Amino acid sequence: MNHDTNKKIKNAIEVNWDDYLKAYYEKPQSAKSWSGYDLKEIYTPKDRPEENYEKNVADAGTYPFTRGIHKNMFRGRYWTKREVIGIGSPADTHERVRYLVEHGGSGLNTIADVTYEMGLDADHPWAANEVGLTGVNITSIRDMETLTKDIPLDKVSWSVITASTAASVSMAQYVSVAENNGFDLTKLRGSIQNDPIHFRYCGFRPACPLDLSIKLGSDVMEFCTRRLPQWYYTTVNMYDLREQGITAPQEVAFGFGIAMCYIDELIRRGLDIDEFAPRFTFYVSCHIDIFEEVAKIRAARRMWARLMKEKYGAKDPRSMQFRFAVHTAGCSLVPQQPLNNIVRVAYEGLAAVLGGVQSLHCCSYDEPMCLPTEKAHLQALRTQQILAYETGVTNVADPLGGSYYVEELTDKIEEDSLKIMKQVEELGGMEEAIRTEWLDRQFEAEAVDRQKELDSCEKLVVGVNIFTSEQEKTTPLGVQRVPKQSAVQQVEEVKKLKRTRNMDKLKDAIKRLRDDAEERKNVIPAMVEATKSFGTTGELLGTVRQVFGYSYDPMEIIESPF
Amino acid sequence: MDKERKIKILITKVGLDGHDRGAKVVSSLFKEAGMEVIYLGMYQTPEAIIKAAVDEDVDVIGVSYLSGEHLIFTPKIVEEMKKNNLDDVLLIAGGTFPVEDIPVMKEMGIDEVFGAGSLTEPIIQYIHEHVREKR
Amino acid sequence: MKSEKTINGMILKILSGDRRMAARLITLVEDEAEENHEAMKQIYPYTGKAAIIGITGSAGSGKSCLIDHLIRKFRQQGKTVGVVVVDPSSPFSGGAFLGDRIRLQSHSSDDGVYIRSMASRGYLGGLARATHDVIRIIEAMGRDIVIVETLGAGQDEIDVIHIAQTCVLVTTPGMGDEIQALKAGLMEIADIIVLNKADLDGANTCIKNLQASLSVTSFKEGEWVPQVILTVAVASKPEDIQGIDELVAGILKHQEYLHTSSAIERVRFERVEQELGLIFKDELQKIIFKGLKGTGKKKKYIKSILEGKGDPYSVVEEILSSCLITGGEKRNGKTG
Repeated sequence: MNHDTNKKIKNAIEVNWDDYLKAYYEKPQSAKSWSGYDLKEIYTPKDRPEENYEKNVADAGTYPFTRGIHKNMFRGRYWTKREVIGIGSPADTHERVRYLVEHGGSGLNTIADVTYEMGLDADHPWAANEVGLTGVNITSIRDMETLTKDIPLDKVSWSVITASTAASVSMAQYVSVAENNGFDLTKLRGSIQNDPIHFRYCGFRPACPLDLSIKLGSDVMEFCTRRLPQWYYTTVNMYDLREQGITAPQEVAFGFGIAMCYIDELIRRGLDIDEFAPRFTFYVSCHIDIFEEVAKIRAARRMWARLMKEKYGAKDPRSMQFRFAVHTAGCSLVPQQPLNNIVRVAYEGLAAVLGGVQSLHCCSYDEPMCLPTEKAHLQALRTQQILAYETGVTNVADPLGGSYYVEELTDKIEEDSLKIMKQVEELGGMEEAIRTEWLDRQFEAEAVDRQKELDSCEKLVVGVNIFTSEQEKTTPLGVQRVPKQSAVQQVEEVKKLKRTRNMDKLKDAIKRLRDDAEERKNVIPAMVEATKSFGTTGELLGTVRQVFGYSYDPMEIIESPF
Repeated sequence: MDKERKIKILITKVGLDGHDRGAKVVSSLFKEAGMEVIYLGMYQTPEAIIKAAVDEDVDVIGVSYLSGEHLIFTPKIVEEMKKNNLDDVLLIAGGTFPVEDIPVMKEMGIDEVFGAGSLTEPIIQYIHEHVREKR
Repeated sequence: MKSEKTINGMILKILSGDRRMAARLITLVEDEAEENHEAMKQIYPYTGKAAIIGITGSAGSGKSCLIDHLIRKFRQQGKTVGVVVVDPSSPFSGGAFLGDRIRLQSHSSDDGVYIRSMASRGYLGGLARATHDVIRIIEAMGRDIVIVETLGAGQDEIDVIHIAQTCVLVTTPGMGDEIQALKAGLMEIADIIVLNKADLDGANTCIKNLQASLSVTSFKEGEWVPQVILTVAVASKPEDIQGIDELVAGILKHQEYLHTSSAIERVRFERVEQELGLIFKDELQKIIFKGLKGTGKKKKYIKSILEGKGDPYSVVEEILSSCLITGGEKRNGKTG
């Protein structure tokens, strides 16, 4: 025995070797999926005795599209690597858009801040404090011009994330800029979230009364169907619903319920299902239970195909294809030990790709704390790029298809989701479920349950209730601050615009908008005209609100100047 | 008659922020912990919050921030509290903020911060230990 | 324990409009603190002037929304308003979610409105006892009108409604709660019956049921006949809200009736009678139990009853006679 070995060991570890043994022999305490499904130790052919491949599964690109909407999935085209961007002034956001595109982002994606979603101009008394904090505010055509400056709108794919009734104005603003710059509307590619119905569950109820939500949401959908044939006019947002704490089958059921509100309205307006359904898309969450999320997506694809064909009589296969973007689950991330979030997002991104996503946003690791810095944003993009170029998961369509486990879970989620949809039908439909606040109560109950699961360690989260450590003192990749000057400047510019624009021209345009709204016409053309005449978000939305019997200003402070 | 005093806590959001999942969850759990929760909901101004705190004679004000507005509204809320002599009322905050901002918020006047990913028991324990006796 | 002098200071502040002090005193009352007796004694002379409106009805009937409108109308008439909203405490945890205030927040910037949420708790002296005191304090703040809102679900809460001068019962179509209200005896107390959400299906059936039950009751000459008023308190559009002016008019009409027919005297009498009874019952219990506390006598009594050596009536007689004799003899200077 060499006495020198003792000197070489600098810091002898104080280990409780009994604890170590426990860790060595440890097994999972739970055999349930995230949404609560009891799981067997292994799934075998015996679990799938009556698998009818042609009818229920089928190849990718074949009804009911369980395995994917395209025959060759990512071999044909990668998903769009589309990181959400929204910060400060339109100029600030523009800069970050360019940064990410320069580093390999393949889709543009900008998100509205709370003031814009509420339908407020940057100079509104309630907006002043919060302009640009979590997104961008586009008050006038000038803001949209700044945001899109020098970007060839007929070449890029731009996802405009405005969800509330203000999406109608966003669409008008985007179209106005495109037309002013001579772009052919039929060449514009991209999407607008445009799902005001769901947005009442993210706050914003003053901006999203149910009837106005359906009216304006459908106006955008109808307008795009006729004038922007390559544009996806809605991304029905199941993601935000999942963020409330609900389960996978609930996410699909409630999302589909909301989707049907719009579909029913468009059909009522006389559109044929195959005329518009091919451009109908969804925003889906990918949470941390990889297999459950893949199964959820497969179930949603099968359910959508059958819903379109059997309930709505669609004939065009493209109408039956569940097209979706994924936003990895923000609520699965925690501020403790923040770099762990990069790993969580990687797993969630993996689930999205294994699920066959069309467009992906990976959260930056600082999602539960603040807006992303350039570094954090880039890290999220790199996560997607590693998935795409290194892991090989893109080589084969629906690689998990045929797994006894995943097929079983797909069936289970579909079954439960259909049960919930039936429950909503029995309540009188989704609108009734919303009006009676039945949906609110589902969200509230599930949210409390999720917290209790954490408190009791029924669900484990590293850094929160296991393997905790002292709170960090700094955010690893820095903190993104929104330059105060951006907001101040934007407010000044809005005020200047309102002082210097041609009010006569604007008044005429507002009058046309009011008339169209009163005659229950599609208001988007009039909004385009008013936008080109320098009408602002608050003014356009407010005018339509008044016609429908609501206050001009959602916060009930400002009166209409017209 | 010996009675354990009930703790009254006001839960509120401020400004335009519409993320209320956390505020509703803590309200429910505080109720289960025996507290009386006065829930103000969204779109409150600092003035309205403090007015309610005064009229309801609350022991604790809990503010939920999830849209980056924490450094903007905290000084205003603290100022209103001072104006109304609410020095003996506990002020706690929850939501999303960079860890660097936590000492800043405390400097501004917040007594403790419980961000996203907090477990319920430490919050309740904190309140019990720090709620002031107003005798 | 606060000295009389500090309590006096507190009362003076309340009378001069110090909201915080009033709120503090209400907390003392809710906490059933010892100081509140002296405070209530001192504040009492300044109370009794407000019009007290009770609003009761089952959960979801729209009481808070109606109150929101009423406050607005009363304020437009230049009246100051106080509101007490009672919500049930959890029988398991003792906690409560007081979420009615959220519907009244539009008045948050109006100093002429004071709103207080109260949990039903498990008041040793009963909910009504505490609510009586809370309303007295709000009156002392100078409020012209005090609105009390309760669920009307239990006996406790029905007692609270007795405090009100004008009692409004809120029902909605299709919930069958007009039948429930009948059973609870609320129909007999109600001066105004509001059928809220009157735009819903079943409204007509509900009106018929209400009118039928009213026609069964016989009213004396000159007595107030309960009015049925239809309202729609919540609508997505302001223009669809209905019946609020009629409700305000109904309330004012009833108040007028009280004052012109001198029924107000009976109402005031009954209020004080109830207060007296509740305070008496509460204090008496306190004295008895204070005397028994720590002596082990209560356990002994219960054990002897269980062993068949007595009954509750005899036990109470024994306790009362010893208490009262002791008290009486002390006053007479005897020691026996």
